[in-house]
Formats: sequence, structure tokens, C-alpha cells
Amino acid sequence: MKNDPTLSSKPTGPDYWRSLDELTGSPEFQQWAEREFPETVLDAPDGSSRRDFMKIMGASFLLGGMGLTGCRRPEEALVPFSKMPHHYTHGVAQYFATSMPVRNSAIPLLVKSSDGRPTKIEGNPDLTEGGGGTDTFAQASLLNLYDPDRSRHILKSGKKASSEEAESALASLSEQYQANAGKGLRFLVQPTQSPSRLRLEGHIREAMPQAQWHAYEPVDFGGASRGYSAALGQSLRPVYHFDQAKVIFSLDCDFLGTEQDAFSHIRGYAKGRRVQDGEDHHASTNRLYAVESLLSLTGSNADHRFRVTSGQVFAVAAAMMDQCFEELGGTDNDAGSPIPALRTSLRDKAKQVPQIPGKDGWSAKWISESVKDLVAHKGQCLIVAGQRQPEAVHQLVAAMNVLLGNLGNTVSFVADEQPGYLSLESLKASCDAGEVETLIILDGNPVYDAPADLDWKATQRKAQNVIRLGYYVDETSQDVDWHLPMAHYLESWGDNRSGEGSWLPVQPLIAPLFGGWSEIELLARLAGDAETKGYDIARTTLKALTGASDFEAQWKQCLHDGHHAALKSKPVSVGAKAPDWSKLTPQIGEAITDEAQSTQASKEALEVVFHRDASMDDGRFHNNGWMQEWPDPITKITWDNVILMSRRTASELDNLQNKEVVEVELEGRKVEGPVWIQPGFADFTLGLALGYGRAETGRVGSLGGGSVGYNAYQLRGSQGRHFATGAKVRRLNKTHAISCTQDHWSMEGRAIVREANLENFETKRDFAQNMDLEAHAGHIPHDADGQPKQIYEHPYDARPETQSEIHQWGMAIDLNTCVGCSACVVACQSENNIPIVGKDQVANSREMHWMRIDRYYSGDPQKRQLADSLIMDEEQAYQEWIDDVQVVNQPMLCQHCESAPCESVCPVNATVHDHEGLNVMAYNRCVGTRYCSNNCAYKVRRFNYFDYNKRPIDQLDRGPWATLKDGFIERPEDEVNLVEMAKNPDVTVRMRGVMEKCTFCTQRIEAAKITQKVAARDSGDIEVPDGMIQTACQQACPAGAIAFGNVLDPESAVSKLKQDPRNYAVLGFLDTKPRLTYLAKLRNPNKNMPDYHEMPLSTSEYTRAMGSPFEAHGASHGDHGHDGAHEEAHVGESHAEGGQH
Amino acid sequence: MASNELSSSVKIAAPPKELEREPLVLNNRPPSWITNQVVGIIEGKTPRWWWITFIISALVMLLCPIYIGYLITTGVGVWGLNSPIAWGWAIVNFVFWIGIGHAGTLISAVLFLLRQKWRTSINRAAEAMTIFAVMCAGIFPGIHVGRIWYAWWLFPLPNSNGPIWPQFRSPLLWDVFAVSTYFTVSFLFWYMGLIPDLATIRDRCKNFFSKFFYGLFSLGWTGSNRHWRNYEKAYLLLAGLSTPLVLSVHSIVSFDFAVSQVPGWHTTIFPPYFVAGAIFSGFGMVLTLMIPLRSIFKLHDLLTVRHIELMCKVTLATGTIVGYAYGMEFFIAWYGGNPYEAYCFQNRAFGPYWWAYWIMISCNVITPQFFWVKKWRTNVVFVWILSIFVNIGMWFERFVIVVSSLHRDYIPANWSYYSPTKVDVLTFVGTFGLFMVLFLLFIRFLPLIAISEVKGVTNYADPHHPQGGAKGGHH
Repeated sequence: MKNDPTLSSKPTGPDYWRSLDELTGSPEFQQWAEREFPETVLDAPDGSSRRDFMKIMGASFLLGGMGLTGCRRPEEALVPFSKMPHHYTHGVAQYFATSMPVRNSAIPLLVKSSDGRPTKIEGNPDLTEGGGGTDTFAQASLLNLYDPDRSRHILKSGKKASSEEAESALASLSEQYQANAGKGLRFLVQPTQSPSRLRLEGHIREAMPQAQWHAYEPVDFGGASRGYSAALGQSLRPVYHFDQAKVIFSLDCDFLGTEQDAFSHIRGYAKGRRVQDGEDHHASTNRLYAVESLLSLTGSNADHRFRVTSGQVFAVAAAMMDQCFEELGGTDNDAGSPIPALRTSLRDKAKQVPQIPGKDGWSAKWISESVKDLVAHKGQCLIVAGQRQPEAVHQLVAAMNVLLGNLGNTVSFVADEQPGYLSLESLKASCDAGEVETLIILDGNPVYDAPADLDWKATQRKAQNVIRLGYYVDETSQDVDWHLPMAHYLESWGDNRSGEGSWLPVQPLIAPLFGGWSEIELLARLAGDAETKGYDIARTTLKALTGASDFEAQWKQCLHDGHHAALKSKPVSVGAKAPDWSKLTPQIGEAITDEAQSTQASKEALEVVFHRDASMDDGRFHNNGWMQEWPDPITKITWDNVILMSRRTASELDNLQNKEVVEVELEGRKVEGPVWIQPGFADFTLGLALGYGRAETGRVGSLGGGSVGYNAYQLRGSQGRHFATGAKVRRLNKTHAISCTQDHWSMEGRAIVREANLENFETKRDFAQNMDLEAHAGHIPHDADGQPKQIYEHPYDARPETQSEIHQWGMAIDLNTCVGCSACVVACQSENNIPIVGKDQVANSREMHWMRIDRYYSGDPQKRQLADSLIMDEEQAYQEWIDDVQVVNQPMLCQHCESAPCESVCPVNATVHDHEGLNVMAYNRCVGTRYCSNNCAYKVRRFNYFDYNKRPIDQLDRGPWATLKDGFIERPEDEVNLVEMAKNPDVTVRMRGVMEKCTFCTQRIEAAKITQKVAARDSGDIEVPDGMIQTACQQACPAGAIAFGNVLDPESAVSKLKQDPRNYAVLGFLDTKPRLTYLAKLRNPNKNMPDYHEMPLSTSEYTRAMGSPFEAHGASHGDHGHDGAHEEAHVGESHAEGGQH
Repeated sequence: MASNELSSSVKIAAPPKELEREPLVLNNRPPSWITNQVVGIIEGKTPRWWWITFIISALVMLLCPIYIGYLITTGVGVWGLNSPIAWGWAIVNFVFWIGIGHAGTLISAVLFLLRQKWRTSINRAAEAMTIFAVMCAGIFPGIHVGRIWYAWWLFPLPNSNGPIWPQFRSPLLWDVFAVSTYFTVSFLFWYMGLIPDLATIRDRCKNFFSKFFYGLFSLGWTGSNRHWRNYEKAYLLLAGLSTPLVLSVHSIVSFDFAVSQVPGWHTTIFPPYFVAGAIFSGFGMVLTLMIPLRSIFKLHDLLTVRHIELMCKVTLATGTIVGYAYGMEFFIAWYGGNPYEAYCFQNRAFGPYWWAYWIMISCNVITPQFFWVKKWRTNVVFVWILSIFVNIGMWFERFVIVVSSLHRDYIPANWSYYSPTKVDVLTFVGTFGLFMVLFLLFIRFLPLIAISEVKGVTNYADPHHPQGGAKGGHH
């Protein structure tokens, strides 16, 4: 430290100074320079010493048997532990409870810290929100933390500035506006439920009463809340209990996919969907109806689906409401009741319900029968309306839920604590009027995502002084006076409330990498508070909520638990058991009348739906490689957004071809994007995903030059923010390459995903074991135990000493509860250091995901001929069967076959079986013949065709010549270092030329075994208890569809699932004996519905070729009760009863 | 009645004139002519066409080091491979070249054991072709692996990694043994057959260096009775050793596919079908190479139309076997009742790769049928053109087997399409350059017809023939 200028009183050498303060030798600078760590969380609370800080923090973490990290590795090296914190072992990961703030809600998390850096995000299993599951955004948010392109510096008019400068600027602003009561001060914020932010907001509102608060959220989830609040006259936030609902009706509401808190809803939905053996399935299994324009995850899981344009959803809701009155009866008998008038107006609106050509009365029957089903489950059903729908629909839904007695049962309420915010439009008016002196933009990105007609870039600049707190130097930060880097939530202290109202702490796992501030730290400075550290602010807020007594204990406890049970919002009683119709009806009536009936969409005036993207959200994940490469759960498209449309729309629009670039024009605004013909899509609707085409993005978001995707916000006006009618499409005679991870749509009648209706299931519970070739194996020789005779002896039988008698790992996935949300895919990527490969590589089917969700469409078998299965995949989009499809999803990963075909063909023994039943890869031994991949029937092996971890992703094929132009052999330094911090140190990073695949998270298995061995000591009980190991996919799964454990333990969850009659092995006839088995999917259709099919369409397709699985055949031969075609397929079975031939 | 009029004395008819075999060397060329004609090619001035073809071939050959270097430094991703099509042109080319390498040893070993004397005019060049083709083939398994610097792990070598051995259950390992054995034995066989001819050249050449090298490689051959006795014994033994190899190499190459469980690969018909296909393609290549050489070097008397006709017949027979195998695959796919396999074959013929399938059928099944007609199979130009179709067809056969089976197998979600990249194509073109360079060097420096053996099938070597016998004929 000889040359440390802070120690030497007399600097030697040339005279450099770090700021003007140094030159003048101001005391502030002296103090700053002497501090070892300027501006970090290590700053001690209450001015106590660093040692005290360590004590406090250490103690709080110790409660959970965890030690202190909280500083990232490089700093730890500077200050070695002179005394090792208790319970900290170098190399042993620790978990910290925190939460991820999302719009108006939060996701409770447990985050893994590996030696001071967060490396994996998991859901907090102690909370009902997701029950340990998370969504993809939470999983991927980790990569944002280590994004080398994130904002690193405070910028004053685009130039780097010090934090002192920023702080003093804020301090002077604070003084100025406290003096003038906030006149000319405007805030543009995003809605939140964070108690600390609301508290600080309150401070400012009090101290600067004339300052105005505007809120803008490009994807507005507040509709339901506003609908209920308007209908019930109280400020409310609805909490849905999908687990309680037996009949769920979605009106354009993707509650399993892109809606708020979807991960939590999936948990509830899956609970209501789960079929337990020995119960009355009809009574216990829920049924899902969906009316929607896009094919969403919710619609793809629905038992009945009605595709209408988003504008027609209102008409459907009106028809439903009318039908509700019809079915419930008795409500309009009283003289003077407002109901008859309401019904008349409802019927008027219901006329717009689309008719299906060639199917008279189909729509009416669909609606009336589904409403009958709702009414039959009064108090046990739930209607939800989507975020895109206008308030009138939300009010109708509120009214119907009231009518159906669902309030308090399937939907409850918590109070909405947010103050009212002004709109973005009013902020524009003020800006235009020159009333805005200082505009403070907290997060968000309005220049990119504000309605196009507001011309926000210019509007924003009309404010004299614009201060922006942003995570990136993005579009909004381009022309501002101050840009302040925002801290990631894993770097900041705070608090939040989940959608259900739980109080959740936000605690950092690492000091801000680039010295960013959190929202509350900025607001505290503006408010002029003495407390400017997030840690203090959050504590003060909590102290106010809990009371001062016993506060430290509560603080420690809630940091440990990740929530504070006593602070959970109490359900608000709305007294709606007996609805006051006289009060409710005029309100609804007014809403209905006011709702401008959307014009029917046609090919001249198309409807455009602006939807939240499943991977980009509203654009905030645009520079996140995991999300860019994460296949959309429905379209399976990566690295792009497309213009979704139905086959009929494309054909009527002058035969538009898939991937053709078109220009969409709406009210004079234009945008260009590629066409993607989507099965099951409503006709004359275009789906435009938001969040792409960012002008100012990072290296990932601009991969391949330009920006990934097109910017749909360019088309979006302030009217019709979520959907609008009147768009035109113009052909541009060029095409755009799309990287889609699943080219083939149909399952081709194969028994890959096996499904049945509940009725079918009841006639034959083990139908899934009565499918595919294994069910037609009666003619091959059998052993005495009824199993097909083996040609080869099982390796474990041949050499029993190679088999562990303690652990044999296995997995079971319940396809009935899996909704296909694909959170597991990112969880796996994060856990297993799976690289991204870029758009071009994905286009050539080289994506590296160890786990994929296979999504199949099945159409009416009558509309599909054998020849249709032989066409090029590109031609599928023009086939009629795709119009009304059923969808199935299947997580596909290494099956860990006991007789693994990959193992016997590897010439160098690089993939072998271990004694616990895992099919393991020895990367170091792999030479990369790829034979194992060819011989894998499930095609789950992934090959490193290039050095994805070492070479720049846009120059993979340039090999050693890549980046030579920059003078680097490998990636630029910053990228490597920061990205490497996200890697899981427990998992090998693979080089090129090596095959890789799912390991069943062998690192977690080993960690659990070690822990158990340590705990066992002399008892010798080294069997890992069930549930101690959760694979990354299982952990992330909000549906709880994945079970993993020891199959030798008959009591383990996985063993029990494997005993289920629905349990089956994919391609079981190959006799690979996979350790991963699936539980067949069940559908619960309503027999009275016009779109009822006797069996799921995929099962019909299967039946056509292989015979019905619900009739006895195959193994139990001699039963010739099935159809002739089936007989023909089995020549010689009559003489083959157990005989050998 | 006429019978009564029969004469009691029955005329003893003269025995029918013995059907004379067509001679294997036309115009009753004497042994000295044969020697002069064949060795003359080597002794003569290097023709201009040779230089032109050689330089072009050498330049084409350069594509190999360039693109293989790029491949090794950058990764296998420079090829068009993907998931599920993890094997593409490299394996197709490997099997293609190995298949071509079949004719030589078949001609020299199997036909030798079957006493097919006509083999003598073609065996030398065919064997050379075999060796060069196997060399071209050998490039691909080496470079197609992801980490080429560890490719030696496929050999059972002692190593410091503990007792790690290759996996003896893997057909790729069997390939290593089969191909290396085949190459070694074929090379030895070829070289042994060359020794008497090398001695002939040695005895004729005047240049010191030529004398030294031909002398070195002729291993002191004097043509003594003892030498001939040992030589013929060894030749017979090597022929016996090579014969099973002819069948084993391509059987084992076919195991790469047959042992797997991919529909379209997993069939027991593969070994005989592959061997037949290999002989078919090998003869196709022999025809492609020999017909121009015959004209250029005026070898019409040694490489007669009869030779070409006989080769056409082999081509017809093996091509028909291959056609039968194609049909049988379809029959079993239907009869076996396995829908996955049934789909694979429907998809092969009518799916996205239908064009490759029908090129294969046209070239391999329809083309050889022209050889039923004597007029056509004796038309040398026509045969040469058809032989090229055979080569094309057999490349496509391997392409169809490898790619069309992999691109749509069990799980439809993972189906995909494969297209080669520039690197795939140019590496393959480069191997043709290599092959041509080696073959051109061969015809320039080594006798392309087995002089001593051809002499052995002339009338001069037949003691029962008026011209033959031990009359001190020149060897």
C-alpha cells in the first residue's frame, strides 16, 4: 500500500486530481478518499463501525444457519476474513431469502450465493405464492445482474459524473422543492406495492404537495383491480384461488402465462387439476374454458376453447352475463328491477358474438352450455378477464362472479394501498404546457414504450431538468440531464408485497457491482431524509409496521423467512354474498353502454393485439441472452417477435407466406415484421408481441446487427393500447429468417404424449400403459412374470455389485399438471451453465437447452391424411387442420435409460451408467463422435458444435480468427469476467466438441449425499431423505409437476407417482427402461359442449393407426373386440400366443 | 413308313466344335508386347494431359487441408450438422469411399479364388483404387469427431488415465479395426502383386534413381522358380485372408447403422445389402476409371470389351441385389407392423428428402438394368456414362440412409432438416482431388496392369496351346 494516495500526505509524481474537490482539498473529499469502500452496502447502519455491521448482518443470517456474504469476491479478497464468519464454509453455497419486485407485485425467492455471488434463483417454498416455483423472468433476472451492458456510471448530460455530484444535485433539488412545495416537480413512476416506496412517496407528497405523480406501465395489469373496484365501490386488488375453482372461465386471460403472478396461478390451477388415485375425479378435477384471440398457454391448456378476436370478447362476456341471468332465474321478477333493461342491453351487445361459418348456433350453444356448467358450480367457479380487456369486461366479470357466488370463495380481495397516480397523457399535457421544471423518471422506459402518438422522446425533453434512474442507458436515458444507474434487486435493500399481499423483504446478495441506487434510495435523497441507505429505509418502514418492540428479532426473522406472516394483508370483505343489484346494475349498465363496441375485424380492417411477450416482458429483458434464446412456450420462436395470424387470415390477405415480411399500418403508424401463421389463432387478428426492436440495447439485444425483433410500440397509440381494429397489411416482398426450435407440429399419431378424457380414463385407468408398440407385444415371448422376455441381461442383473442398494434415482413428470410455462428451461440453463448459441445456431437446431418443452398440436383426424405427415415442415402452416387445434406439452430431457442406447455406442466410454442409475457424461473423455445423439431415441443430447463459452457468439464460425480485429483472441475482457460470475461453480463448463445433456442435477444429488453422510455420522443412515434433493427444473416448476427421488424407497414421492396407473415410459417398447416416466394427461371436457370430442384429438389420431387404448388389447391378447383395421396390423397374432416365431 | 427306311448303319457324327472362349488378350499379343505396352506408359514421356489433370487435382486436393484446418480450429459446427442430424456428409463420404474401396480386393481376392482369369487385366488398377479410396475414407472418421486431438482414444492404447479402454461394444470401434485391417491387408496384397512387375521395370530402366527405387521395392526379385513358388503361395494365402475382409469391412460399416435403434438404420438386412452396394459402387468406379485409361494408353487388347461386359454383369447383379434390398426394406417396414419404421420409409420416398431417394433409385436400380442388353453393355461410351450414374447413386444411397433416417426419427418435436455447408461440400471435393492425385501418380509410376498375371492367362502360358508351353517365352 506504499503508493496509496489516500495514505500518503504528500503526493509524489505529477499532480493528478480526481475531482475539483481534491484540488481544493475539501474535507468531503478527504473523507471520501479515506474510506476504503466508497458507497457500498458495507456502509454500516446508524454510523456504527464495519465490525458492527458484520455482527448485525452475520447474526441475522445465522438464524437460518447461514453465514455472511454480501460482498462479491473481489472485495472479499481485499479484506480477508480475519475471523471466519460462523457457518460459512468456502465453497459451500448459501441461500438468502429475498424477493423480486415486479409490477405491482413481487416474487418470493431464495437465492443461492456461491462465495459471495448470487448464482441461482429459486422460489421460496414457504409461501403460497408459487410454493417454491417461480416464473421464467425471475430465473432469468440473474443474468441481468451480470449484464456487461448495464449502466455503470452516473451520467450528467451524457458525461460521467461522480456520485457526490449527483448527490449534491439531488440535495439542492430537494431543498428547492421543499421550499416551493414541489411546484414544477413531476415524477413518472411505475406502480408498486413496496411499503418503503409508498412511505417515501408519502413523505414527498407531504413535503412537496404540488409535486405530481404520474404512473405509466406499458403492460397494464391493473384492469381487474379497476373493474372490481368500480363494480364494488372499493379500492381492491383481487386474489384468485384457482385451486378452489372447479370451473374456470378465462376471457382472454392468460393467467397461466403472461398475466401477473402467473406462476402463483399455475400452482393453484395445477392443484385443482391434479388427479389423485381413488378419488372422484369428476368432482375434484377442474375444467377450463377459454375464450381468446391469441393462442395462449391458458388456451392451450383449456378443455374448451373458443377463438374470437379480442374485440369480440366483450360480446361473449355480455352473452354470458345474459345467460347467467337466464340460468339463475328469479333475479328479475321484482317489479322495477333494473335487470330486464340490463339484459336487453346485454343481448344487444351479445349480437356481436361471432358465428362459425357452417355451424349454425355453435357459438350460442358454446356459451350457453359453458354458462350452465358455471352455474352448476356456483360458488366453486371463477371467471377471469385478461389484462388487455377493457374495464367493461372486467366489470362484467366482477358482476358474474358476484352472481355466481364466487366472491369470498374463489376470488378474495386485498386492499390496494397505492395512492392514485396521474396518467402519462396528463404528464404530456403538462410538459407541452411547459409546466414541468424537473421530471424524475424512476425506471421504466417511456421513450421506447410510451404510446407512439405521444411522441415521448420530444415530450420528455420539454421538461427543463430530466433525472432518470435506469438499469440501462436506454432510449429514455439518451437525452436526459442526469442518468443514475439503478441497482439490481439482488444488490439492493427494500421491501415489497406480493399479489396476495404478503410482506416480502428485498435483501441484497452482493454489493452494487457498479454502485447503482435503488428507487427508494433516490426518493429518500429527494425527500431530503437523513436516511438514504436502502437498508435503513427498509428497516424504518418495517419498524413502523411492526412496532418498535422486539423489532430486531422480527427483522432477523423475516430476513430469514423471506416474509413476515403477521404483515400479510388481510382479506377485505366486500359483503358481496348477497349482491346489491340495485347498486351494481346501473354501474354495470353504464359500463356496458359506454363500451364502444369494437368493429368486427375483417381483412380490410384487421385487429391488432399488442401482447406482453413471454420472454421480453415489455422490453426489459431484451438484452438477456437466456430470454432471447428461450423458446416462446407456444410458438417456440427464439430471438424474434413475429406478426402472428391465423391460416385463414394469411390466405385471405393475398396468400401471405410464413416468414414473409409485411408492413402493418394502423392509424397512419407503420411497423414491419415477419408473418407467422399460428395454429388456433383467431381469424383477422394480428398478434404483435411487445418488447422487441429496442433502439438502445446491449450486445445481446443487437446480435447480428440492428436490434432483435421489431418494435411493436411504434404501432401502438394511446387509444386501443392493448388491441385496436382497423389495421391494414401490406406485402413487402422480402422474408425474414425465424429461428424456431420446434419445426414439426404434429405428433403424427404417436403415443409420445398420452392423453384421455376423464370418461375414457374411468373406463380404463391404465390406458397409458395400453398404448404404443409395448401394448402390441403379446406375440413376443414372455417370462413367467408376464414381462417380455429379454434378449440381453440387464447390466445390474449381470453385475449386481455395480448397483447401489441405497439410492436409485428416478423422475416422474405429471403431464396433467404441467402447463408448459417453460420456467424449468431457464432454471436448467441457469443451474447447469448452459450457453446460449445465438439466432443462427438455433436456426440450425443447435440450441443447447438440456430440457425442452415439446409442444404438439393435434387437429381433427378427419382433416389430416397420411400424405400430410410427409410434407416439408414449412408447408404445415397452410393446412386446414391447424385452425382448431388441441395442444399438449411435454418436458423432454435425458430419460436416464437403464439400458441406455447412447452408452453402448460410445467408442470411448464417455457416457456410462453409474451405480445409482444415472446416465453420466464424462466430458473429459468425450471425443465427440455424436453417435450417442444419433442413437438417443429422445434426442435430448446436445453437442457443442462451437466453443460457445469462449468465442463471441456472433462470430462462432470464425474460429480462431474471431475478434482478431479487436486485438483479442477471445471475448473482450469485461464480457468474460462478468458473465462468468453467473456460472454455477458446481457444474463444469463444457468446451467445444463435447456432448452434454441433463444430469438430473448430479451436483445437487452429490451435495445432498454429502450433507446426509455428514449428518449420519456413525448411524450409517446415509440414505438421502425424500425431498432433500430437488432438481433445478423441479424446483422451478410452479405446477409441481416434476417429482424426483429415490425409486428404491417405496414411500418417496416419485415412487408413488410411478405406481400411478397413468404412469408410462415414452417409447417404452424400445426397452430402454427410462428412469424418467410420465403421467398421462387428462382432459375434462363437458359432454354438452359443441366442441366435445369423445377422446382427445391426439388420442383419436393414435387410435386410427393403432387401435383405441381404452379397449383391452395388446398384452392381453385373445380379445378380438376391436376394429378390423387394427386386426390387420397384427398379422399372425392368433397363432402367436406366447409362442416364439 | 419312314422309319423302315432308316439305314442300319448310323453315321458317327463328328464331335461338335468346341466353343472357343473369347481370348482375354486380343490379337494374340505376345508377352513382349504386353510388357512393352504396360511398362511403356511408365517409361515414356509424361504426357501433357497428365500434367494438366495432375495440377488441377492437386489444387482441388488443397481444399482438404484448407477446410479441415478450418474445421479443426473452429469446430464441427462449420458443417451443416445439427440435432437430430448429428452425422452428415462426413459419414456419407466415409461410407461412399469405403464402398468404392470394395471392388479392388473383391476382384483380386475373391475372383482369384474363383479362378476368374479375366480379373488379371483390371485387378492392379482396381486394387490401387481401393487403397486410395480407403485413404480418402479414412480422413472422415478422423476429422468428424468434435475433439480431433483426442481421436486416438479410439485405439486401445495403454494410457495414464487408469485402465480406460475403448468401448468394445461400439460399432465405431469395430470400424477402426475393420478399416485399418482392410487397408493393411489390401495394401500388402497390392504390393505383393506388384513385386514381379516392379522387377520387370527395374530390369528395363536405365535411369539410376529409377533403378534404385524400383530395385528397392522389388525386394530382389529374380523370377526364380523358388521365388515364384513362394510368391504364388503367399498370393493365395493373402487372397484367402482378404476374402472374408471384403465381406467384413462393409458389414461392419453397416453395423454403425444396424446396431443403432434409429428407424431406417436398425435392420438386419444391412450387412449383405451394404456389401452388395459396395461391390456395385466399386465396379462402377473401376469402369469409370478404366474405360478412359484403356483409350488413352491403347490397352484395347488387354482390357477388352469382354472385360467391360463382365464388369457390367457384376454391376447388374449387385445393382439388382441392392434394388431387392430397397424393396425388402419397404416390405419389412410394412410387414413388421412397426409404425415408426413404416413412417421412416414412407418419409424416405415421399418426405422432404424424396429427391435424394429417387435419385438413388434411378441411379442404382434402373441404371444397371440397361446392362441386360448386350448391345448396350458392349458400348463402351454408354457404359462409361452409366458407371458415373452408379457412382452418383451410391453416394446418394448413403445420404438417404444417414440423413433421411435421422431427420425424422421417434420424437416429432425434434425433427429437422439438414443442408450441407460450403465446408461440407468442398472437403468432399477435396478428397476427389486427393484420390485423383494418388491415382495419377499410380498410373505414372507403377504398372497399371498386372503384367505377369496377364501373361499367365494368354495362350503363351497355356502348355496345351500350340503357342504355349515352356518354350522359353519371355516373362
